[in-house]
Order: sequence, then C-alpha cells, then structure tokens
Amino acid sequence: MNLTPLRFTVNGKPCAVEVPPGSYLLDVLRDNLGQLEVKEACDEGECGACTVLVDGEPVDSCIYFCAQAQRRAVTTAAGLAEGDTLHPVQQAFVDHGAVQCGFCTPGFVVAAAALLDENPSPTEAEVRTALAGNLCRCTGYTNIVRAVVAAGERATEDPIA
Amino acid sequence: MPEPECEDRRHVGRPVVRGDAIAKVTGQFEYGVDVSKPGMLHAKVRRSEIQHGLLRRVDVTAAKAMNGVHAVLTGGDIGDFRASRFVRDEPILAKDRVRYHGEPVAVVAAETPAIAEAAAALIEVDYEPLPAVNSVTDALAPDAPLLHPDWESYWAAPVVRRSGNILNHASLQRGDVDGIFAGAARVFEDTYVTQMVHQASLEGRVAIAEVEPGGGVHVTSSHQYPFGLRQDLSDILHLPLESIRVSATGHGGGFGGKLYAGVEPYCVLLAQHTGRPVRLAYTREEELIATSPRMGATVHLRTAVDASGRLLARDATVHYDCGAYSESSPVVVGIALLALPGPYRWEALRVNSYAVYTNKANCGSFRGPGAPQVVFAGESQLDQIAGELGVDPLRLRLDNAVRDGDLGPTGQVLTGVSLTETLHRAADAIGWTEKAGANRGKGLACCWWTTTGGPSSAEIRVGGDGNVVLVTGATEIGTGAVEAGLVQICADELGVSPDVISVRSADTATTPYDMGAQGSRTLFQAGNAVISAAADLRSQLLAATAADPGTATSLAGLARLTGKELVGTGTYTAPPTAFDESTVAGAALGAFNDPSFSTHACEVQVDPDTGEVRLERYVAVQDVGRVINPTYAAGQISGGAVQGIGQALFEDLHYHDGRVANPNFTDYKLPTIADVPPVETILVEQPSIHGPYGAKGVGEPSIIPAAPAIANAVADAVGVRVRELPITGERVMRAQ
Repeated sequence: MNLTPLRFTVNGKPCAVEVPPGSYLLDVLRDNLGQLEVKEACDEGECGACTVLVDGEPVDSCIYFCAQAQRRAVTTAAGLAEGDTLHPVQQAFVDHGAVQCGFCTPGFVVAAAALLDENPSPTEAEVRTALAGNLCRCTGYTNIVRAVVAAGERATEDPIA
Repeated sequence: MPEPECEDRRHVGRPVVRGDAIAKVTGQFEYGVDVSKPGMLHAKVRRSEIQHGLLRRVDVTAAKAMNGVHAVLTGGDIGDFRASRFVRDEPILAKDRVRYHGEPVAVVAAETPAIAEAAAALIEVDYEPLPAVNSVTDALAPDAPLLHPDWESYWAAPVVRRSGNILNHASLQRGDVDGIFAGAARVFEDTYVTQMVHQASLEGRVAIAEVEPGGGVHVTSSHQYPFGLRQDLSDILHLPLESIRVSATGHGGGFGGKLYAGVEPYCVLLAQHTGRPVRLAYTREEELIATSPRMGATVHLRTAVDASGRLLARDATVHYDCGAYSESSPVVVGIALLALPGPYRWEALRVNSYAVYTNKANCGSFRGPGAPQVVFAGESQLDQIAGELGVDPLRLRLDNAVRDGDLGPTGQVLTGVSLTETLHRAADAIGWTEKAGANRGKGLACCWWTTTGGPSSAEIRVGGDGNVVLVTGATEIGTGAVEAGLVQICADELGVSPDVISVRSADTATTPYDMGAQGSRTLFQAGNAVISAAADLRSQLLAATAADPGTATSLAGLARLTGKELVGTGTYTAPPTAFDESTVAGAALGAFNDPSFSTHACEVQVDPDTGEVRLERYVAVQDVGRVINPTYAAGQISGGAVQGIGQALFEDLHYHDGRVANPNFTDYKLPTIADVPPVETILVEQPSIHGPYGAKGVGEPSIIPAAPAIANAVADAVGVRVRELPITGERVMRAQ
C-alpha cells in the first residue's frame, strides 16, 4: 500500500509519520503516536470527543484527514497545560465540578480553550453556542458552562493567562 | 510529612475535589478503550441481518482462510452458553434462530480490527425468515408466534412469572380497588406511551480477556459491576468463579448499560481458543442496535378521586416492550409497582406490569430503570385531574403527599419523607404563582426512589508514613462517589486529610466485594463500609493505647511504632426494608430502601407555528439525605435531569422495518449544551436512617420527573396534553 509521509507537530513536538492516504487524524494520533487523550465516541463528527486544535482551530479529528495537518500544529488536551500549571480552562473544569466520567473532557477543554482565544470573556449564551459540537452525557452541561465562563473571567482579569 | 491528624476533620459536606480530576482534564486518565496488552488480537461480532428467522447455514470457510484470522466461532462451535441473570434465554451466539436484527451469530479474532471486520463480513449466513413480532400488541395477539418456543425449559429465578411471550408479570394488589372505583366521584382513564432510549455512554463497551499461565482468565473491562460480571462469566461459560478475575478500567459512562456481561464472554472464548489476549470494542452503531436500552412502554392508567381532589385508588396496566431476551427486564418491570403509585397516599392500588418479548434488541437497565415510563403517566395524569377539578397541580400534590409514618404502595413504613419540602422549594424557585407569558407555561412533577441495598466492603491501610490506602470493590463510574465521596468519609472518620488517601478499587482479585455501581447505592453502601473499616482501625488504636498508654496517639503513630501496616476492614449490608409481601408478586424488589424524594419544575416556550418546545428554565429539587459533596451531588442531578430532558424532547431509538433506523449520534438526538438551560439544583437534607451521616442515594432519581414536568408545562403553555414521548413539535401540533 502507498504510504504518505506527513510532518506536523503535536503539542509542540515534531512528528513524522507514514500513513495510508485517507487516514484520519484521530487514528494517527491514537494508533501511531500514542496520544490516547484524544477520544473516539461516534466516529462521524457528531460528538466532539475527538476534538483537537489544528493551528488553534478546533476540528473533529475523526473526520479530519491527517494529510490536512501537514506542516501544521496539532494541540490536544495533553498539550494545554504549561508544565504543572493547568490551562485556565482545565483548572476551571477541576474547580467547578465540570468533570464526571471525563470521557468528553479532553475534547471540551480544547474546544473551550479555542473559544477563549477568540473571545476572552464569553457570556453563557456564547459558551453554549460555541460548544454545541461537544456532547457530554454525564454533567447536563451546567458545570461545564459555569467553568468556561469562569475561566473567561479569569483570563480577562489576568492578561498573562 | 506533616502529621495528618492535625488536618481539619470536616470534609464531609464540602466541595472536595475528586482525586481523578486532574488526570481527566489533562487526558492522562486511562479508560477501557485505552488499555492494550502485548500480543493482543482484535475481535469482531458478525450480526444477524434479519429480524427473526431460523439459521439454516453459517459458513465460516472464507473467514477462517483469511490471512491474520486466528479464530472464528459460531453458536455450533461452543457449548450451551446462555445469559442472563434472571432467565437464561439468550444463547451468546445464536444456535438455531435469530430473534433481532443485530443478534450475534459468530465472532472472529484476528491480528487487526480491520482484518477481523473483513473476516466477519465474509461469513455466509442463510436464514429462513419467520414472521416478526414488532410490538407488545403483536406479541400478545392470540395467534402470535412464540419468540421462545422452548421458554418453559429455560432456567429462571423463582420470582419470575412467565407465560409464552410474557417474560415476567409483576403485580401489586392492595385494598378494595374495584369497590373504590365504583363509588368514586371521578375516574380518570388515559393511555401513555414512552419510547426506547439509550444510555449512550460516550465510551462504548470494551474489554480484553487473557488466559493466565495457571489457566485462569483475566478480564479487563469498562464495567460497572466487576463482581457481577465475574458471576455472569462463571454462569454463562460454566467456569469456576475462582478461575476468573475481573478488573474494571476507568469508565467513560455506564448509566446501567454496563451491569451485565456484554462483550466479555466473546473475549474469554476467543482468548481460550487462541491463547492470546483478545480485545472487543463495540462501535457506536453496535452500541445502538444491540446493547440494552431502556424499554419503551405503554401505560394504561385509571385513577379514582373524590370531588375535592383526594386521590383514592389507582389501577394500572403496564406493558414494557423488552425485546428478544431478558437481561434485567424481569426485575425492571417489577419496579413499576413502586414507582407508578408515586409518593402519594392511596386507599387501594392495583398494578399489573408485564415484560413482553418482541423481535428487537433486548432491553435492560438505564438509570432509574422502569420508572420514567410510569412516572410520565402518573404525573401527567395528576395534572389532568387537577385541571378537570380546578385544583392547582401543586395543591393537589401537597394535599395527597405522603408524610413520615405513612405506608408506601406495598405497606413499607415511610421515614425521612421530604416530598412537601421539595414541592415548596421547587415551586418557589420556578415562581409557581407568577403567570408565564403567551405560549409559555410552567410544570412540575415528583418522584420517589430507592437506595439499592446489597453488600459493600472496604479496607483501610495505614502505613508508617501516615499515608492511607482505601481499598474497595466499589466502582467509580464517574459520579465522584468513590474518588471524592468515599475519600471524604474516610478522611473524616480517620481525622486525616483527603490528600494522604489514595484509592484502589473495583478488582475482584485485589479488592473486597461490592455489589457494583447501580441503583444509587455506591456512596451509601460503600460509605458505610468505609465507616465500619475506620471503626475497626480506631479500635486497634484504642487497644494498643490501652496496652501501652501514651505510646500511640494516632493511627500513623501506631503504624510507625508497630513497624507494620495497619489494616482496618469493614463490610456493610443495609437491612432489608419490611413490607407486606402478600401485596406483590413477580417483583424482585418489594420496597424502596431509605427512599429519596424529588420535585422538578420547569418553564417552557412553545412555538405556536411549529409546536417546538424550548426549555427556558429547569429546577431540580432532590432530597439527598445529607450532602457529602455538594458539587458532585448537584452535578449528578444536573446530568440526570438532562438525560430526562433528552427522553422528554429529543431521543427516540426508533425501529423501522425491524431494525434501528437511527443507530448513530447524527440521528439519535442527544441533548447538546445549546439545547438546555442550566439546571438549577436545590439539595434538600432530610436524613435517612441507615445512610452514612444520613445520606440517601443520589444518582438515579433526577432522570425520572423530567418528562412529565415538561409535558405539564407544555399543557400549561398551550393547553395541549401530549401523551407520547418524545414531545416533538409534530406531536404538540397534532394534539391540538
């Protein structure tokens, strides 16, 4: 089978893979690169569990060709924290009880981080619109919304964050 | 390290952060789907393409010949291996017939998932189709084909009452029902229909089995009840219990869907045949067509009242459409006897609840099993009664609400009753007396629910460094009951900080028995086991101090002095709740243990042109007995409420032409963050008798009152009574 050589970064680390044409980014991240924090739950771009950032934009990696990531920067939930310091969204998820089973959490936190990059202090309604592509079956979303709004306020208060 | 005994002793009742939170937000937490074993093979199930028929030929020649295929098993290749726990009616691979579209016919193990899938597709299956039974009505028709012609030969638990296509008939009879109906001022009679809905945990079923050098089997599974799975595997595969080890992995959701053997028997059989570890993970489509959703139901409900709105008697017939095989259905239909009357005073009750076989995927347990169906009927009809009599629905409920000392439906004496408080709190929060605007309406609904019993155990190990290991067979399903709740209880009982406590849980080989994450029971039952284990440790400390006064003032100090790890052990089994056994038959559960009480209230906006219902506000008031962790208690209630909202407005696992028509998340519509308002949670604390610090079970009730609360709000908004779920715009328009 023809393999396509691809280069991109994952959480800042350069990666080179050779994969069949048509490989999805999710499968390459999990199976070739061991990035198990990227989750699969629907395999058709409906649930957002597999969300990663490509050059800062959230994508459903289960329906995103790996080739589209060529020479771009992929960020997963494992790449949001700075050393031991959680990203403000991650810290807010911890503080506000936005995590239950946690299977949707890696997708939610990267999608929320992308939202805050674009809109540092979103309203509740803006959070609900922006994260409508991510399903959670445990929390009823109440604490997720609370966490993202709080992380936004924190980001606004502290320009370094 | 600092002496942990100096820490604040009060952690129960506070929002202590769960121990797994950071691993989950950074993605480092390991779920079932993340586990792999060296040399592992991958399995794939070949499923029936037809709904009902005889198996004429299963030809695996081509599949077996494929490169990379290690084993192909059909029903003919294996023993008489049957599930389930209450009726052994399900061959794990079809033998002579298939009874639903998607039923496992064969299973393949191969080097890669792609090879396994390709090989499964090469298996040739010839069927002789049989007429299909698509509904309860079909199944109960006089000339209906029997789905299980040999049903009388199946082993069944003694409590189950079967007859042909009826898998169980549970019944409740108390008082002179017919006499009261004959003399009642008003009788209301309606039929309500609920749909099949799926747990839809984001992580599907996944397991790995490997045969160990001594011949034992080790199963690693994303399972809610490892000790139950071990028993299932022993019963189904005729293996000695002690030869099986089950280790639960991290959980990506369960909600009742992972309480029985699912993928695991196939993994074990294939591991035995190949000598290699075998992994099987279901796709989303397999989850939706062939696992155990909540059964749809038809509820025929008659209620007798006096002219003032006092409830007198209820007479209900409930048919649950349970699919082709039993799983937990025989037990679930018995729960209707307790859930359907609701938390109200009745002079007489009659409930006949039937589990009925149909040619659909077998149904099972889903959060609050059996209850949302019948509570939708009961609480909807209460509002109709209130409307007809000109009584405020809140007033009607308050006037008929049970109080402490009243008897439950089967004669249990009720204690810790808080229904009226939940009603008042919910009504105040939603602004019950303020009229909603045009096309807007408010509704409320109540329920009561059990705290499931069954044994739990715990060990607490204290090392000389003051570190504590809490060992429990309980399973952290995601609620925080183990990773926060049990840790908080352990911390307070020992007088240490939660930071020094680590948890080891849910492994049949290394942790003591627990009856699993089911029935709102974990924090209640395992919490009491932790209290008992801590008491054991304290008595060891006291004994040592008495023997040698002044030497040991703390557990860590004692451990340091004796130079060995201290181990406290505890078990707990809730005492059974007494009830009048002459009132019920066919029910495994005759009473609700340490019951909780809930009221939900909401406000909706109905689009007058499309009938679309938009939820504007949602209030969930629940009596949790005693709050152990307010963040996670409220979080569970919010999550359950939104699952209930999903059943009320969106979700419908829909059969068309004998198969699930929407086996994916595009067409099976789960509520998104944009579909729902925040759930405004109010925790009421009316202590239970037996719970740790008075806690009651929290997990399940919040899914139960959502649909009728919304249906009642829709009726308030536009005067339309929708008696079938989900409440789609089309149903609202057609009901006008």
